Amino acid sequence: MPGNAVFFPTFFAGVALSLWLLSAAPYLAAGWPAYPFDPEQMSFDHLLLIFGLVPRGVVALLAGALLGLSGALLQTVLRNPIADPSSLGISAGAQLALVSATVLAPGWLIWGTWPIAMAGAGGATLLVMAIGAARAFHPVTMVIAGMLVALLASSVAVALTLSQGEYLFSLVIWNGGSLVQTGWGPAGSLAAVLLIGALCAALLARPLGLMTLEASGAQALGLNVAVLRAMAVALAAVLAASVSAAVGLVAFIGVAAPAVARAIGARRSDQLLLYAPLAGALILFLCDGVVLTVTAGRLEMFPTGAATGLIGGPLLLWLLPRLRATVPPPARDILPRASHPRRLLVTLCVTLSIGMIGFVLLGRTPEGWVLLDRASAEMFLPQRLPRLAGAAAAGGLLALAGAMLQRLTANPLAAPEVLGVSGGAAIGYAAVLFTVASPAPLVLTLGAAVGGACALLLLAGVVLRREVRPERVLLAGIAVSALAAAILSVLMAAGTARSFALLAWLSGSATTLTTASAAALFTLLLGVLFVSWMILRWLVILPLRADTARGLGIPLPMAWGAIVVSAGLATGAATLFVGPVSFVGLMAPHLARRLGLARAQDHVAGSVLIGALLMLAADFGARMASFPYDLPLGLFASLLGTPWLLWLMIRRSR
Amino acid sequence: MSAVFTLDNLTFSVPERVLLDGINFDLPAGQVTGLVGHNGSGKSTLIKILARQIQPTGGTVTFEGRNLDHWQTRAFARRLAYLPQHLPAAEGLLVEELVALGRYPWHGALGRAGQADRDAVAGALTACGLTDLRQRQVDTLSGGEAQRVWLGMMVAQDAACLLLDEPISALDIAHQVEVLTLVRKLSHDSARSVVVVLHDLNMAARFCDHIVALRRGQVAFSGTPGDMMTPEVLQCITGTDMQVLERTGGLPVAIPE
Repeated sequence: MPGNAVFFPTFFAGVALSLWLLSAAPYLAAGWPAYPFDPEQMSFDHLLLIFGLVPRGVVALLAGALLGLSGALLQTVLRNPIADPSSLGISAGAQLALVSATVLAPGWLIWGTWPIAMAGAGGATLLVMAIGAARAFHPVTMVIAGMLVALLASSVAVALTLSQGEYLFSLVIWNGGSLVQTGWGPAGSLAAVLLIGALCAALLARPLGLMTLEASGAQALGLNVAVLRAMAVALAAVLAASVSAAVGLVAFIGVAAPAVARAIGARRSDQLLLYAPLAGALILFLCDGVVLTVTAGRLEMFPTGAATGLIGGPLLLWLLPRLRATVPPPARDILPRASHPRRLLVTLCVTLSIGMIGFVLLGRTPEGWVLLDRASAEMFLPQRLPRLAGAAAAGGLLALAGAMLQRLTANPLAAPEVLGVSGGAAIGYAAVLFTVASPAPLVLTLGAAVGGACALLLLAGVVLRREVRPERVLLAGIAVSALAAAILSVLMAAGTARSFALLAWLSGSATTLTTASAAALFTLLLGVLFVSWMILRWLVILPLRADTARGLGIPLPMAWGAIVVSAGLATGAATLFVGPVSFVGLMAPHLARRLGLARAQDHVAGSVLIGALLMLAADFGARMASFPYDLPLGLFASLLGTPWLLWLMIRRSR
Repeated sequence: MSAVFTLDNLTFSVPERVLLDGINFDLPAGQVTGLVGHNGSGKSTLIKILARQIQPTGGTVTFEGRNLDHWQTRAFARRLAYLPQHLPAAEGLLVEELVALGRYPWHGALGRAGQADRDAVAGALTACGLTDLRQRQVDTLSGGEAQRVWLGMMVAQDAACLLLDEPISALDIAHQVEVLTLVRKLSHDSARSVVVVLHDLNMAARFCDHIVALRRGQVAFSGTPGDMMTPEVLQCITGTDMQVLERTGGLPVAIPE
């Protein structure tokens, strides 16, 4: 459709420009200021225009182009249509550096945000690259390592934010990527970065073209694949970090721009590298135009970066049927297989029981650590037991959902958090929080349940219309997650007390767990475990791809339905009580597999035990670390699980 | 000679292209049928339709006297086993575990694996020479060994008909011969019907009892290997001039002019 390929970009460029001009109109009462622009001679309106609105538009274009280029580079080199700067931990690293500097060493900020953001992004990227280096920067390893590093960085950043109370709300605004400008400095810097980045990308374009072949094919053509991957990723990191430093976290452009470029006909990697920055610039400029028009001077600091997901999420859903998703090639390394899986499972079981009993008995008073005696047991047990048991059950549910989804899609990146169910539940929760005056806990719970169910329905709607394909589900889930994240950022950027309540719930807390809800979670865990046992043979065969499964006579639509519904229910319920936490659903199955639990039944059981263990320990840590205050549960779960998994990944590569 | 498959005006098209254009033929039962043709001739599409992996856009296929659409999923899998061209990564599975998956159509999702299942797996391991490898992880095996393991899974499936999509394309010549010899033995020892997509005409002539050649989505030739090995037929199949060299004690071989 070459006609569409010209018409749509032109049309949207026209819309974007009109929106921008519309918001510039109030400043144009006295016409355009005359060149040369001399601040001394200019009216206030003209000052706002030349040093505010015009550089803002330019920054939107430049930042969009940079992110588009960065995303295109990463997607080409990692052969993964959903890779973007945030999925490699680049943006989260920059965010953590800035938050830490603001909290711990505010003095450093006198040199501006650039060096700090660069250092953070560089550190995160180096960590990811160090893990990837041992396996020639294999795409799947890189993306998993990137997600883990991003998770770790953002948990630490949120912990710091929460520890400082509302003081750091300006950082939430920064996180959202406000494009407000007060001069031409950032625009100039971004332009310089784009110029150099474009030059480097042009030099890399031809070797990257060969990368679209399998890595081995590229190698045969005389290409040093590892060096090329490292160079391209480093370039992408610098581009994304400069945007982070200048305007903060701008969601979604990195993944949407290359998708749009492909949809309008970019097939080769050099075309992609050319069109993706253009698409990125256009999308961000358009988003900013919408934000300018909607806020019309009222909410000056409203972050455009948060709003990009509002447009980008639906855009990705719309593009989905048109995308030819390439599944990332399977990891080459052979994971260990335990010779006595049962022993391992028993060890996990024993650890879990000891942990359960120990954490129930062990408490902290202002005087120090104490074990419960008979008298205080009566007082504390009704509080502690449901909380610990509920947290463990929630962890088990998330891990079970993750294990089932990873087996179903044969994709190690599948996880309930990635599929948008958690995000949907969070939106439901937020909707109740912001619309009902002072909502009862039950109403909030209901809101989250409805939100999760809606996300699941949306997902099912997108997926079931076409032939069911695993990678489609993943992409749809990511679109839903991005949409949810965008809505949440917008709500948080409002900066009210409700925003803070939302932030606290988002990081997860088990304080709301009662005996009844813990029992409900536990029952559901048993129920879903029963389902997974019933379909165990499907879970063994499904990782061998749809054609094998069909050949063996598995009713695929039924298998799909059963797994998606169970995983959705499990995630939704866990999310209700402990927040959309933690990526336990992503991490626990990986941990189980890397410990050597290979057979489906061992893998599923091990995932559940590890998920429960992670959440149990996280709850204890959250309760004790800054006694008498509770810290976020999800935060602790990621703080415990991420380093463990990273260590297993690094250790394996030796 | 009875037919295992009967194709009636079979058509498959995608928006811009007709991949299979009104195909009619019978595939003989109990024999090895080679499906040959140039790249894009539609042979892979055809075998996927026979395996019910994709739906034809027109025409009908009859398998064992019953329309392909009317087969129950598991009943079909008991009669027919399919091996895709690109083998999926059997992550973490042992050889005997993968072979045992072939019993799924028989015991289903919940049924107990009984003595018959264990015997079938043991028989498949022996038939494919996998007894020494049974405790190895599939992802540590060489290409030829892995191919034998997947064949073993199909044997354990105990189906009367095997469909193989380019099973030797990634193997060296010794393993090609090994795998095709095994396929031929599996067919002739227990009267299984085999349809195998092959690239190499000489290999097809050497190991198949019957050849069907496709050209641009239509049947260019159907007959015995001996009939195929003439310059005229080969020219029609390949679109290039071929020379046929006579050989004492065997079929002639074909090489390009």
